[in-house]
Amino acid sequence: MVEKIRKILLNIDGINGWKINEKTVESNELFFIRKELDMNRGKDVTHISLTLYKDFEENGKKYRGSATISLHPTMDDEEIIKEINDAIFAAGFVKNEYYPLVKPSEGVPPETKTSFSEDSMSNWMTKLTKDVFIADKYDRGWINSAELFLDKVKVRIVNSEGVDVMYETYRGELEFITNWKEDEGEEVELYKDLLFSDYDESLIPESVDEMLKISRDKALARPTPKLDNIPIILTGEPVREFFTYYYEKAAARSVYENWSTAKIGESIQGADVEGDRVNIVLDPHMENSTHSAPYDEDGLILSKVTLYEDGILKRYWGNLRYSHYLDIEPTGIIRNIVVEGGSKSLEEMKEGAYLELISFSDFQVDTITGDFAGEIRLGWYKDGDKLIPVTGGSISGNINEVHKEMYLSKEVQKLNNFIGPYSVKLFNVNIAGVE
Amino acid sequence: MQVPMSKYLINQKGTLKKLVDMLSKEFKYVSILGTNVKGKNYTVYKTGASIADSPWNERGFVVRVYNGYNYSEYSFSQLSVDTLDLLVEKIREKANDDVNNLKAADIKISNYPVIEEEKIIKSHFREVEILPEEVSPEYRIKKITDIMNEAFTYSDLLIDFSVNYEECHISKIFISQNKDLEQAYIWTKASLAAIVRRDNDTKYYYDGISGLKGLELLDELQTMVKDVVINAEKLLDAKRIVPGEYDIICSPEIAGLIAHEAFGHGVEMDMFVKNRAKAVEYIDKYVASDLVSMHDGAAAAESVSSYLFDDEGTLGTDTLIIDKGILKTGISDLLSALRLGTKPTGNGRRESFERKAYARMTNTFFEAGNDKLEDMIGSINEGYLLDVTLSGMEDPKNWGIQCMVLMAKEIKDGKLTGNIMSPVIMTGYVPDLLKSISMVSEKVQIAALGACGKGYKEWVKVSDGGPYIKARARLG
Repeated sequence: MVEKIRKILLNIDGINGWKINEKTVESNELFFIRKELDMNRGKDVTHISLTLYKDFEENGKKYRGSATISLHPTMDDEEIIKEINDAIFAAGFVKNEYYPLVKPSEGVPPETKTSFSEDSMSNWMTKLTKDVFIADKYDRGWINSAELFLDKVKVRIVNSEGVDVMYETYRGELEFITNWKEDEGEEVELYKDLLFSDYDESLIPESVDEMLKISRDKALARPTPKLDNIPIILTGEPVREFFTYYYEKAAARSVYENWSTAKIGESIQGADVEGDRVNIVLDPHMENSTHSAPYDEDGLILSKVTLYEDGILKRYWGNLRYSHYLDIEPTGIIRNIVVEGGSKSLEEMKEGAYLELISFSDFQVDTITGDFAGEIRLGWYKDGDKLIPVTGGSISGNINEVHKEMYLSKEVQKLNNFIGPYSVKLFNVNIAGVE
Repeated sequence: MQVPMSKYLINQKGTLKKLVDMLSKEFKYVSILGTNVKGKNYTVYKTGASIADSPWNERGFVVRVYNGYNYSEYSFSQLSVDTLDLLVEKIREKANDDVNNLKAADIKISNYPVIEEEKIIKSHFREVEILPEEVSPEYRIKKITDIMNEAFTYSDLLIDFSVNYEECHISKIFISQNKDLEQAYIWTKASLAAIVRRDNDTKYYYDGISGLKGLELLDELQTMVKDVVINAEKLLDAKRIVPGEYDIICSPEIAGLIAHEAFGHGVEMDMFVKNRAKAVEYIDKYVASDLVSMHDGAAAAESVSSYLFDDEGTLGTDTLIIDKGILKTGISDLLSALRLGTKPTGNGRRESFERKAYARMTNTFFEAGNDKLEDMIGSINEGYLLDVTLSGMEDPKNWGIQCMVLMAKEIKDGKLTGNIMSPVIMTGYVPDLLKSISMVSEKVQIAALGACGKGYKEWVKVSDGGPYIKARARLG
């Protein structure tokens, strides 16, 4: 299909550049209710995206318009030509500051290794299924339902500058629900979505076991009390969400559009920081991440970059377009984030009273304003010696108001495309308790 | 004008019928859904613009067969009459080999009955005033650029203002041994987003419109520009709410969010099959105040999810979920109905031809009541009027609710004070919230700017809404 499109493009006038992104996905999917297979699915699909560029000048200034279209494998030449002509016409109305396209690189990215390429997809599905139910061994807790996906993905990026690169990757996903029922009280459930790109024999059993234990704790939980002036500790997945704020503030696009005011050489946490300072690196080759890739969507070769050192913004990250606008070296789009652990051990963090929050309905961080909030599904309240599991109510706050004094745990966790502190301790966060 | 059906799909009908015939020789049930969704997304913002295909664009097929135990599916994007044998082989591999391999590995397989279908041949093509494909992209870009430029005349604090317009032309066919269905419709949506900054404080506000409309939607958008900028400016003076329980009035948008998160997800009947829905225990019981009646269905309202048939070939219906406070029934896909022995309601929906069908919402809303908004505000001594959705999350098993709301407008002594709190998180136990509803306004408004996920995936286009409702809720 790529060759067919290339050939057609050669015969159409008025195109100043083009880029083709082809993605072929072969997928195996299993859907379980308790331990029974409820449905199996498979797919073989190809997605082709074509971006066309059209250059023009106004008042001596150069502009580059573009339009992106999807081309389907079942389109004939006539349909493709019509789509391309319509798109190049439309691109003439898109008035964006000029930017170049990626040129071919002589660099060779490290090879991505994954065990999934060493056996058939159906054999892996059987093995992964066995892993799902290893930890499903409790009398009062069980897996309610699970969905298991394994995709083999082939990516090819070709552009008019001569870039023609391809790579193969795997995307595994396990979505599961765990339930727990104590003798007294309601049956509870929790949700988990686990992503992976390589086989790790402990990943699925340990995640399932952890969720079952959290469900058990939730079944025992009492309503969150009304609390004032008590530090909170975010633990587990919410920590990953918390750090997306720092990632987005350093995005070249956010800076160019003036959504972010972060400046290189300045502290993102402001002056007079009393707690830990953030250290963040982007690593495109992180092991067992579904976001690892040798090239970004423009075909730019990717390598590791440092974003923040001791809270100081060292560089922006972005694709060639927005990096060109800011006159900086492009990093490409890298979606793996590594945050260095902080100064306190988990034990030190838990000295005194605190509310530790492990599971939310949906912990949200607004990367423009810094606001964060979530409904509590499970937390641990410690006041004095007693440690009480709590549920219900919510927390809310703003990162700009809390990150001058925050503490990151020394212990780190890995969650697909995130390696970072296991816990973060914050002060002055609003807690809306239930009773 | 009538929305035309995809010529591509019409041309493939013969091939698809042949495929159904071939597969029917070895499988007791065979169906194929064919989709061709063609849409465009136009955005302008301060520094530039973009034109791209809509993220909902797709063209492909999904086959479902009865494998002797339950159902297997195969999604594909290539179709040719010359390669049907290979396709049959692939489907056989999924339905026979893969299932047998799992069985051999001691994995239990659930049992479903064979789907029995009535013979139905039906087509449905909706009407719009202006067909998007008949108007140049120049018109859209010029129109939305004018809207953006107007916004910058209203405030010096505006650092960016984006205008987004999206149109989707949906064509679907469903072929099985007994069904031959086709439909085409168009939905459009448009939104405005203002970002303002004062000193180092950045805030944003958005609004938009949507519907089963063509390009005429853009004319309605222009009337909203000034309010979007002014509301963004107001947010710069917003304060943080003191956590607590308050009397609240929910705007139709927030009422819709509650309908969607509180009881919409909770009555998706695939959740009944999995024993994930607390609603099962409450059928024919009071779950809300008797002022509350709630619907869902493709035939329940005219909005973005108003289709003739769902992605499993079941005709859309209007389901009365809550009738005067009493929970009556849920919404169902075909396979869940088969397991539960109930009637499917036309709510079996897929994110695309590549994904599984689940029980999903369509147009979900509370019915209107008899109260006037000014009387509702007048009845509150201390509380808030909540408006503008940020996000929501369901909890079908334990009936928790999380609604992130952009604006809480303060009410004191029966009047809006002009003070605003932002953002606000509303949480609580669903029946407590719904039973606290004490006033309901006269007019229902339905909106469809966003999309709905099941957990964190499987996005489908939905609408939701209601009248203004007065209730009591925990805000933080």
